[in-house]
Amino acid sequence: MSAPLLSIRDVAVRFGGIVALDGVSLDVAPGSIHAVIGPNGAGKSTLLNAITGLYRPANGAIFLQEKRIDGLAPHLITRMGIARTFQNTELFGDMTTIENVMIGLDRHHAYGLLTAVTHAGTFKRAEAEAREAAAKLLDLVGLSGQMTVAASALPFGNQRRLEIARALAIQPRLLLLDEPAAGLREAEIDDLNAILLRLCRTQGLTILVIDHVMPLVMTISDRISVLNFGRKIAEGEPEQVRREPEVIKAYLGDRAKHALGA
Amino acid sequence: MTISKTIAAFVGVALFLISPHVLPEFRLFQVCLIAATAVVVLGQTVVTGFAGQISLAQSAFVALGGYGSTILSTSTGQPFWVTLPVTAVAVGVIGFVLGQATLRVSGHYLALATMAFTAIVQLALIHGDPLTGGAAGMPVPAFEMFGRTFSTGGELFYVILPVFVALFVMTANAMSSRFGRGLAALRQSETAAEAMGLDVLRYKAGAFAASGFLGAIGGGMLALLSTYLDPAQFSITQSVYFLAIAVVGGMLSPVGIVVSSALFVLLPELLQSFQSYLGLVFALLLLGFIVLRPEGISSIARTLVRVKDSSAREVP
Amino acid sequence: MLAQVLASSATAGAVYALIALGFVLIHKGTGVVHFGYGDQVTFGAYLALMAQVLIGLPFKASIVLALLLSTVLGLAIYFLLMWPLRNASLLSRIIASLALGTVMREFLRAYMGPNAWPFPFLLSPNPISVGGILVVPANLAVVGVSFGVLAMLFVLFEKTIFGKAIIAACDNRTGAAIVGVRVSNVFLAIWIISSVLATLAGILIAPMLTLSPDMGLIGIKGFTAAVLGGFNSLPGAVVGGVLLGVLEALGGTYVSSALKDMISYSILIAVILARPQGIIGVLVPKKV
Repeated sequence: MSAPLLSIRDVAVRFGGIVALDGVSLDVAPGSIHAVIGPNGAGKSTLLNAITGLYRPANGAIFLQEKRIDGLAPHLITRMGIARTFQNTELFGDMTTIENVMIGLDRHHAYGLLTAVTHAGTFKRAEAEAREAAAKLLDLVGLSGQMTVAASALPFGNQRRLEIARALAIQPRLLLLDEPAAGLREAEIDDLNAILLRLCRTQGLTILVIDHVMPLVMTISDRISVLNFGRKIAEGEPEQVRREPEVIKAYLGDRAKHALGA
Repeated sequence: MTISKTIAAFVGVALFLISPHVLPEFRLFQVCLIAATAVVVLGQTVVTGFAGQISLAQSAFVALGGYGSTILSTSTGQPFWVTLPVTAVAVGVIGFVLGQATLRVSGHYLALATMAFTAIVQLALIHGDPLTGGAAGMPVPAFEMFGRTFSTGGELFYVILPVFVALFVMTANAMSSRFGRGLAALRQSETAAEAMGLDVLRYKAGAFAASGFLGAIGGGMLALLSTYLDPAQFSITQSVYFLAIAVVGGMLSPVGIVVSSALFVLLPELLQSFQSYLGLVFALLLLGFIVLRPEGISSIARTLVRVKDSSAREVP
Repeated sequence: MLAQVLASSATAGAVYALIALGFVLIHKGTGVVHFGYGDQVTFGAYLALMAQVLIGLPFKASIVLALLLSTVLGLAIYFLLMWPLRNASLLSRIIASLALGTVMREFLRAYMGPNAWPFPFLLSPNPISVGGILVVPANLAVVGVSFGVLAMLFVLFEKTIFGKAIIAACDNRTGAAIVGVRVSNVFLAIWIISSVLATLAGILIAPMLTLSPDMGLIGIKGFTAAVLGGFNSLPGAVVGGVLLGVLEALGGTYVSSALKDMISYSILIAVILARPQGIIGVLVPKKV
């Protein structure tokens, strides 16, 4: 494998006495889709939050292509090219769909305060360009018809898509998805798979996805890491991982492991 | 500009030119008072309405604006139209520094910190004897420009109104730009805004800076109108008063702010002989609106328009 | 000299502690920070005054009436204000409690005038000699009541089912409701108790501070005391009050008496920014 895009080295995260992550190491290859799975409480969301700077690791380090990012402020990590979606869709509910996407784009179509208060100069052009770019992203996720709808008024499946479009707006190199398939119906999961695969293959986007939903994870992942109790217990290609005894035990318990004859 | 906006602009300019010849002095004075108050409340709206940060520092910014420009004028001899903008920028910087507090606290503690700030400023003014005139206060020099003195309501009208309009237009523009979007985003979800690359602390501190700047300009205007600075005025209660006007007006609506400011300025007159109940009425209005109609007057207007529209549709 | 300063600061500290207890009770019990609490303390004292002046009741009777009326006041506050706003934004609730305080203050200013009223002492303000030491019964009363209230509330929260129910209701409304806690009753009880506490505090404090509509400004001092003690801790409120009293007295004596208030506010800002959990409290990390 060529040099990893994201490198997590021996990261530990503690909350008071609770050890959420206990020395996890993980490498994400550029242009790949890497999934992190594990039972509830395994530390998956914690890992994501550590990468994006919401939590500070007690030990270890996180590198984005040789640059160390742990300890940096979240908005700086974002600007280095890491975007994320949230488990409990943290959309800007009162804003329209297209405005939600424009938030991420604004930095790339920037103008100063003077322009903002006068609405003169580059204002109209910058706004128009941002709007156009936002419309393109919404098209990518299939939300073109919903541009002026308030985000909180969207049906759940569409909110999920908006989350992705919004994350893409910051033009990331790495996209972190926090349980994107949770609550989706089978058809919606198929659509989501198609969107993610397309993003990866045509745009060269690297994706790190956390989820439980096997139809998503097994279909699109190039590589899967399994966490349990804050530790990595298995890693490899999808077919290989699903047969690992430790993984089965983690999800289904000891008896299931014996029952499945592993 | 759209047609309706152009018409509104024409009407506005016409009213502006006609009023001093048609309205009596005390009415013009009231118009100036309303405009100055509205500018202060606009500042409150930016930080509490748009950025969603509770701030009870507005009274302190008003005080600093009035006292700052007066002291600067009397000590350096520079005219008010120079010292007020300079003071306002300085107060904006103070606001930015105050806004850094949002890194550590929010909600209740932020309210408390801004209250303490206002209290400290007021105490400093009361005890700052040689410089600030102490508890007795100090007089405000008359406004001079191009060799002319503007002291009556009718004269200050020509100074205050254009500034008021300019500031409102500029603020409205800023709020419908990417900065306004950013503020709206962080108001709804700070975590997501941060994840979108927004420097949330900078934006919040920036909102405080804007409220400081606008508060100071409004403070300078109010000082010119009252011609005297009395530190007893610049209390925490006064901050609550500005917050009240913002709430009643609807915290995101420029028109609402102006209407609400007018209501509060004209209330003493409307109450006639019940003057002593003025404070009580203000407080009751705030209480009533926050419980029953937190979106303020502007939402009432919007509801009326909606009702009108829907009833029109019912007609076959 | 130092001992004298500390001794006189004990009274101020007890006053701050008594008010801080009310704040913390309301916050611990309902999750609301009542910014108008200082004004409610003033209002409580005025209730007793108005009973005396307007109805002509003797002092002791007007105190009883005032305490009874404050239960009604607590009820009214809960049903008219707190319950309608139970799901409103934090901003709305902060503004509401500020507005409530302002309404009370302005009501008093309008109906009873802006000037100070004399208020009789419940216990004697004259020093008496106890074993050779001079003590002032009125001051002792404040100190005694503070500790007494603290003890009662402590027992309430730690030892009774009702206390546990309050904490549960405050922590997790839905969860508490599921296990059968009548959340609305819990909150109502807290508002009534704190209302009575406010009136009691007002009656004890008013003679010392001179009663006027602006007496409620003492609320910020009580707030500072509560913050010093870590806002959710009842014992912390008392410790914070005493600490503030001492710091103020020391500052007033050794730095400047005119700047005494500024010192208090500066302490407040310093604590809020540097150590929001107070001297005693514990910081609860926010979970994403």
